[in-house]
Amino acid sequence: MNQEVEWAEPSKDESRRCELRHPDLRCLHPLKTPPRCHATSPYSPLRCRNCRSVISPFSIVDFSSINKIWICSFCLQRNHFPPHYQSISEQNLPAELFPQYTTIEYETSAVHEKAQAGSSNVFLFVVDTCVIEEELGFLKSALLQVLGMVPENCLIGLITFGTYVHVHELGFGQLPKVHVFKGTKEVTKDQLLEQMGFFTKRPRPTTGVIAGVRDGLSQESVARFLLPASDCEFVLNSILEELQKDPWPVPSDQRAARCTGTALSLAAHLLGVCVPGSGARIMAFLGGPSTEGPGAIVSKNLSEPIRSHKDLDKDSVPHYHKAVKFYEALSKQLVHQGHVLDVFACALDQVGVAELKVAIEKTGGLVVLAESFGHSVFKDSLRRVFQSGDNDLGLSSNGIFEINCSKDIKIQGIIGPCASLDKKGPLCSETVIGQGNTTAWKLCGLDKTTSLCIIFDVIKKENPDIVAQSANNQFFFQFLTYYQHGSGQMRLRATTLSRRWVAGPGIKEDLISGFDQEAAAVVMARQVSFKMETEAEFDPIRWLDKSLIHICSQFGEYQKDSPSSFSLSLDYQYFHSSCSIYAVHNSSSDFFMAHVNPLGSMGQVKNLQLSGRHAGDFQFMNGAGLLLCHQSMFGSEDWGRTGTREVVGPCLVGGFDPLPALTLPHLPLVFNNSLMTAYFRMILNSENIANSVVMIQPSLISYSFQSGPEPALLDVASIAADRILLLDSYFTIVVFHGSTIAQWRKAGYHELPEHQAFAHLLQAPRDDADAIIRERFPVPRLVICDQHGSQARFLLAKLNPSATYNSDGVAPGGDIIFTDDVSFEVFLDHLQRLAVQ
Amino acid sequence: MATPGGPRPGNAPPNYNPNALANNMQNLQINQQQSSNVGGTAHRPPNTSPFGQQPPPFTGSRPGPIPPGVFARGPMPPSNPAQTTLPPNMVPTRPTGPPPGSRPPPFASRPPPPGALPSPITGTAAPPNSGAGPRPGPFSFSPLTSGPSAPPQMSSHGQVSNGPPAFGPGMAQSGPRFPPAMGGMPRPSGGPPQSPPVLSSGPSSQPLQVRPSFGSPPAGVSSSIGQLAPPFSTPSQAPPFSAPSPAPPFSASPQNMPPPPGSSPFSPPVPGVLHSSGSPFGMQTWPPQQQQQQQVAPPPLIPGAMQKQQMFGMPPGQPPLPNQSMSLGQTGQSKIDPNQIPRLSTSSSVILHETRHDNQANPPPPATSEYIVKDTGNCSPRYIRCTINQIPCTVDLLSTSAMQLALLVQPLALPHPSEEPIQVVDFGESGPVRCSRCKGYINPFMKFIDQGRRFICNFCGFTDETPRDYHCNLGPDGRRRDADERPELCRGTVEFIASKEYMVREPMPAVFFFLIDVSMNAIQTGATAAACSAISQVISDLPEGPRTMVGIATFDSTIHFYNLKRALQQPLMLIVPDVQDVYTPLESDVIVQLAECRQHLEILLESIPTMFQNNRIADSAFGAAVKAAFLAMKNTGGKLLVFQSVLPSTGIGSLSAREADGRSNISAGEKEAHKLLQPVDKTLKTMAIEFAEYQVCVDLFITTQTYVDIASLSVVPKTTGGQVYYYYPFSALSDAAKLYNDLRWNVMRPQGFEAVMRVRCSQGIQVQEYSGNFCKRIPTDVDLPAIDCDKTIMVSLKHDDKLQEGSECAFQCALLYTTVYGQRRIRVSTLSLPCTNMLSNLFRSADLDTQFACILKQAANEIPSGPLAQVRDQATNACINILYSYRKFCATVSSSGQLILPEALKLLPLYTLALLKSNGLRTDGRIDDRSFWMNYVSPLPTPLVIPLVYPRMIAIHELDEKELELDDSIIPTSIPLSSEHISDDGIYLLENGQDCLIYVGASVQQNVLQQLFGISSVEEISNQFILEQYDNQLSKKLNAIVNEIRRQRCSYLRLKLCKKGDSSGMMFFSYMVEDKTPSGLSYVEYLIHIHRQIQSKMT
Repeated sequence: MNQEVEWAEPSKDESRRCELRHPDLRCLHPLKTPPRCHATSPYSPLRCRNCRSVISPFSIVDFSSINKIWICSFCLQRNHFPPHYQSISEQNLPAELFPQYTTIEYETSAVHEKAQAGSSNVFLFVVDTCVIEEELGFLKSALLQVLGMVPENCLIGLITFGTYVHVHELGFGQLPKVHVFKGTKEVTKDQLLEQMGFFTKRPRPTTGVIAGVRDGLSQESVARFLLPASDCEFVLNSILEELQKDPWPVPSDQRAARCTGTALSLAAHLLGVCVPGSGARIMAFLGGPSTEGPGAIVSKNLSEPIRSHKDLDKDSVPHYHKAVKFYEALSKQLVHQGHVLDVFACALDQVGVAELKVAIEKTGGLVVLAESFGHSVFKDSLRRVFQSGDNDLGLSSNGIFEINCSKDIKIQGIIGPCASLDKKGPLCSETVIGQGNTTAWKLCGLDKTTSLCIIFDVIKKENPDIVAQSANNQFFFQFLTYYQHGSGQMRLRATTLSRRWVAGPGIKEDLISGFDQEAAAVVMARQVSFKMETEAEFDPIRWLDKSLIHICSQFGEYQKDSPSSFSLSLDYQYFHSSCSIYAVHNSSSDFFMAHVNPLGSMGQVKNLQLSGRHAGDFQFMNGAGLLLCHQSMFGSEDWGRTGTREVVGPCLVGGFDPLPALTLPHLPLVFNNSLMTAYFRMILNSENIANSVVMIQPSLISYSFQSGPEPALLDVASIAADRILLLDSYFTIVVFHGSTIAQWRKAGYHELPEHQAFAHLLQAPRDDADAIIRERFPVPRLVICDQHGSQARFLLAKLNPSATYNSDGVAPGGDIIFTDDVSFEVFLDHLQRLAVQ
Repeated sequence: MATPGGPRPGNAPPNYNPNALANNMQNLQINQQQSSNVGGTAHRPPNTSPFGQQPPPFTGSRPGPIPPGVFARGPMPPSNPAQTTLPPNMVPTRPTGPPPGSRPPPFASRPPPPGALPSPITGTAAPPNSGAGPRPGPFSFSPLTSGPSAPPQMSSHGQVSNGPPAFGPGMAQSGPRFPPAMGGMPRPSGGPPQSPPVLSSGPSSQPLQVRPSFGSPPAGVSSSIGQLAPPFSTPSQAPPFSAPSPAPPFSASPQNMPPPPGSSPFSPPVPGVLHSSGSPFGMQTWPPQQQQQQQVAPPPLIPGAMQKQQMFGMPPGQPPLPNQSMSLGQTGQSKIDPNQIPRLSTSSSVILHETRHDNQANPPPPATSEYIVKDTGNCSPRYIRCTINQIPCTVDLLSTSAMQLALLVQPLALPHPSEEPIQVVDFGESGPVRCSRCKGYINPFMKFIDQGRRFICNFCGFTDETPRDYHCNLGPDGRRRDADERPELCRGTVEFIASKEYMVREPMPAVFFFLIDVSMNAIQTGATAAACSAISQVISDLPEGPRTMVGIATFDSTIHFYNLKRALQQPLMLIVPDVQDVYTPLESDVIVQLAECRQHLEILLESIPTMFQNNRIADSAFGAAVKAAFLAMKNTGGKLLVFQSVLPSTGIGSLSAREADGRSNISAGEKEAHKLLQPVDKTLKTMAIEFAEYQVCVDLFITTQTYVDIASLSVVPKTTGGQVYYYYPFSALSDAAKLYNDLRWNVMRPQGFEAVMRVRCSQGIQVQEYSGNFCKRIPTDVDLPAIDCDKTIMVSLKHDDKLQEGSECAFQCALLYTTVYGQRRIRVSTLSLPCTNMLSNLFRSADLDTQFACILKQAANEIPSGPLAQVRDQATNACINILYSYRKFCATVSSSGQLILPEALKLLPLYTLALLKSNGLRTDGRIDDRSFWMNYVSPLPTPLVIPLVYPRMIAIHELDEKELELDDSIIPTSIPLSSEHISDDGIYLLENGQDCLIYVGASVQQNVLQQLFGISSVEEISNQFILEQYDNQLSKKLNAIVNEIRRQRCSYLRLKLCKKGDSSGMMFFSYMVEDKTPSGLSYVEYLIHIHRQIQSKMT
């Protein structure tokens, strides 16, 4: 294989990075700079015959004996090398034993087999036709454009749906042919096999599972629905061109009958029947809420409003549980088949992502939310999916992720886009967080940015001494990922890491120095998000506050009961982390009050709720600021000594309960939806740390004539008339022109040759924004606005309200934020006070 | 009645000519012996007269136009003369003869006829005797009788009067005479006369031992002719009744008859009998009239006249009546001369029929004859026929007669091209004038009183105010002055434009949805291709205009719809895979205006067969497909035309091969066999009711080679006003043309949609039940998602009160429907019939065709609900009971040795026998064949009922020879269905309105084969046959004949070539209903059986 290409391939280690948030780990550097080096070996890996772990640089190799032997670093089993390794020596190491190759990728033997079966990637488009003609037009043109980008060997299928589900038979030469399924009725896989005529050419096998060409289906019957892009381009084009809006009439007091659930279920069945076990993506393009069939989230009657996130919390949504149950079943099926569900939801209305979430997340699907199929967020994101080159998403599929680790450590679970394979073993902890109780997970879809948050448990030892005595304090992790590469090859990527136990005096410093605050923040965020979803009575804010206070009191230096003495005398890095905390708070100004109040007066529930309400409004006004970020640390009293679990890190709260807007009644209620919540949580759960941190803490860069681009404080004070600010809050990128700049621009100075500098100044943030946009998926929304303009709210919503209408002496050219939220300083005050108690 | 006689005679004679003649001869001789003494002449006259009488009226009507021509046949007789059988010929001529006379002239004109008649009669009588004898016996007799008077004429007449044959002859002759008598005749005599031919079993027929016992004696009695005739004629004449000459059972009586018209009960020869019978009746009912008639009659033959007169009188009273009494010889010894047995004879002459004369209902011509109706107050018999043309005043009288009282209603029947079109009346927004109580529609029998300010409803008797705009003064005759200008006041049938209040929605468009089976079998047998091609051709025959909409779908184990919207480059196929819970894939665009989708349709129909060429799906989801198509049509309603080829095996309403391999016969041992003829469950029925509710009519074209459980499938068409077409075994080669033509007729024929029908009756009578292809949701109305000109509904009636003698009882059928062009109309047909207290009147005015149609339909209805033997017994019993009643109450005088048949019903035994041997009631049929038969029969129009059980058979090989003889009639006279008439060197065509078998004898001349079929030997005959026209006279004639039959039957006919010795030959011979078969009696045996049964009842 082309080594270079493989090298160029982004490593997935980043994902690992965030897992390794174990408090006991001392190996800080390796964590911070995870081994980026990896090689691709065109052969199968050597595996320990006892624990099946893969040979790694950490394995001890005995070159001396005649029969060369390697010792598994996990179980200490002695293994012989196979004959073709006979020539190895210390000077002649295979790639997998190079110390720097802690990550190595193998092309497994199954590659050729798979390739021959033609199981290249499969894209099954599921298109909503219950949209207005204009939207449908946008969607059609987007799809048509994308069709030209699909690699020729990819298989393509098409399902359209509205009141009914239309499964298009692309391989029927004579007429456009469509199988029409009723939207209100769920079809089983067996029924599908029966009804779509998979057994007409070949008798149905009497026993066994029927799926795919190898298990009882003829190639022709499969090829009716899934065709190589090159073969069906013409047909697809003509179908798409003639695609009509759902023809069933919609009474004026009703929503369109849209059977999203049935359509997705059919898509899953179809893939399950045709290409089980090989990479395939269902790409759903949704234009509104599902109102028909099993996945319905709301009734057709317009008098019934779409559920809000609050309704969900109050459990007063009639359709919710049924729908979630349905999608859970769907996700299980998809996971079982190894297929991915991607959702492109483009509507002002909700589309039911909250319900769909489980299926998307467990399969590692992509999700993109936009207001319209004509919006660049959608169009560009879709294009990105199929784009090849440097900025491709590196879409891979059908992965299985396994963990081996030393026996002192147990796995509690993973929070992230994966699904448990229920492979129980001695490594599983009794405590379960996320997808636990297993050592193997399914990653139906994975790409460059996929990241998993793995939570470990340190075995409690009766006798702490034993810990100290364990051999050179080292322990190991090995992460194995089998997956189907975009090219159709099956690969195995193995990453092996080693960490050291810390103990005894100086443990605090060791821990502090080994702390990765960014990763920790993301982990906390995921965990809180997870808890909010799974624990009915979970109060995220209180939990976060407690954690934060706890960590501050653990690691801060202070004199008891003297807030003024408090300082986080951590090393630079941790200080920076503290900034991060600060920033996190800033990222959602709305959160302050919610945060501060409980801190200041725990138990004043009333207060808390009120502030929460405000928070919600702001979040939705921002359009993106739904996630509440809150750094906190927590730990058990006897952590370190007893080896009890410790988790340190900032935390993120998702899905803040947004109540109806009180302060800004003009905001449309559609923002008050559970879709955004789900969207954010999903992205958060799968994005890599760098991006996740941006979600938690937007970055702000300032451009001015005075200096080059420089980071600016995420505070309203950063606004100045002669500055351009570039805000990256993950989903939105704002280019904010100070009032003077805006005036100049309007005057057209940048077009004058003598003012080229100004032109450059204007252009610089645009270029940077473009760079971000190019790399991010989903493609963020770009907002270009001027100070005092209506769009400026996109920026203001993210800034720390150090200056409000209550403040005095606002700097000239500056700005204020109309909020009752308190600023970070106030918050920090409270925190210090509580921490020192 | 008379008419029937008339036509029959016509045909009969021809038939007789061949072999019959010889037989007749023999019979005649026999009869002669017996009867001759009595006075052949005498007999003849009487017979003739009776027949004559009857015929005249009818014939009159038909002949009106053609009579002369018809008579032309006369020649035939001549040729046959030797045979004496000629009578038949004679007969025909007579009828025609009379008709003209009687008809046009009805009254006035009659005189002439008489003249003519007599002569014919005589002519025929003498010579032909024997010839006529066979069937016409009676007639022939009559001739005979008349013979004396007009012997010379005979010949000429004979030629002239073809029709009469059996009855005809008699009729004809009498007719003529009557005419003279006419004055009184026509109407005067109620029913008495009819008693006709008696089959005198009498002594064993000597010569005619053929069928020993009965026949012989009579035969013996009368002269050869007379004898033959007698059997038939006698019975018909009802001499029995006349009682006068008790003796007589046989010839004797007949003979006697003549002299004492009344007295000669038995005129052994027909005549005699007729007379006698006639007189008796006449005596009873119309004594005076008879007398008058007699007086009138005298001119011709005194005796005969008498009888004839009576006869005529009868007819007038009730139409045709003459009785056809067959006197069966005494059981044991008597032999019945097969040739004397009553047989069906049809006249090819056209009858002119006025529905009312002199303000009295005119009995309709036989349903099977060709006639032209002039609507003079009553509706044409095409629309409504009653089993009895006089209504019994009491329920007791009706039950005594053992006949049923029922109407056969065919509201959209196809008129004769020469008839006046139905007038359309527009009352504007107020809608037609109706009785405010019973909602009866205005009709000629509503009586206006009080200077026209009010009118009395002829149904409920309520007095209504005349709407102001509708007011008109009355003339001196008590009629409105404008009565003759207003169709609704002078026509039996009018059509009203429906006003808004008759619409629950806009009149629906004409929607045609084609549903085609494309499962493996259908494809491989070519059924799909045939269907597509047929549809493709038919598209251009669909009604033009924006209101015509078309949809198409195919199905195997799934259902494939096609989006035909014009905007699409190609039709889009939409598959509905869920056949347990179906739906329509699109709300619109599946059914599109024809004008918008022609191109798509053509492309699609062309490509369907290839598209599914390699289809390996054997399953067929009929029920689901029909349901899905229905859902697509639900908004509009319309016609759903389904082409199905295999047993539906999947989806809703799937069926299993209940009949093991689809072939097993039902043996007597299987007690539950009839359950196979019931639908397997209610699924399809429930669906069908829903269809009907939404005005969707399903027609089912079954093109199969296997069992498809028609019993279950047919429920859908039956309930929705559709019908089943059955092509078994389907041959892509020979059935494609029929499929196309059937489909074409299906869409082109006059028809209406979303119809509701109700029949109203005058007080005293009410509708008991409707039966036919429709859906009934409320007891009083019949819902017809679609109705066409071929659909008949049987309406059985019951008394709920006494009727007033001398009054009239009216029936009105109102059909509210939407035309294919989207106009909402109400077709109202009113029939007003006299009421009577006389049993004899009932018998005289019985309408054989209608009665038999009812018996047949009832039998069909009962088949699924009981053991076959029971149904068969019921049919026979129905026949026996009627004859018994007649024998007991109307022919008391005759000896018990005679089987006396009312003239009007003389063929009842034959038809009943044929019914027992029909597909539906025979014991060895396939289940599907029987189910189909039941279904076919259900909506069957009266004119097609008779041919169904007693098909028409003609000799083809003789076409050349007959060329000269046939002028205006394309179709040669038919031959009785007896293998005696099949010769090995002949080619015969047999048709029953559905199938057409051409039987090729084993030793047919090669050149004939070559000319007709382009083959050189019988061996080359293959199963699949297409009739081609070769460039020779014979072939052209055959084609012309077949085409004419197709035209008459409105059916393309399934042509099949049969040869002796294989299954096709067996099939052909299975239609020879007069033969003795392993499972059935011969005709003569059956008559004897019936006779015995009656005898045993008598004692």
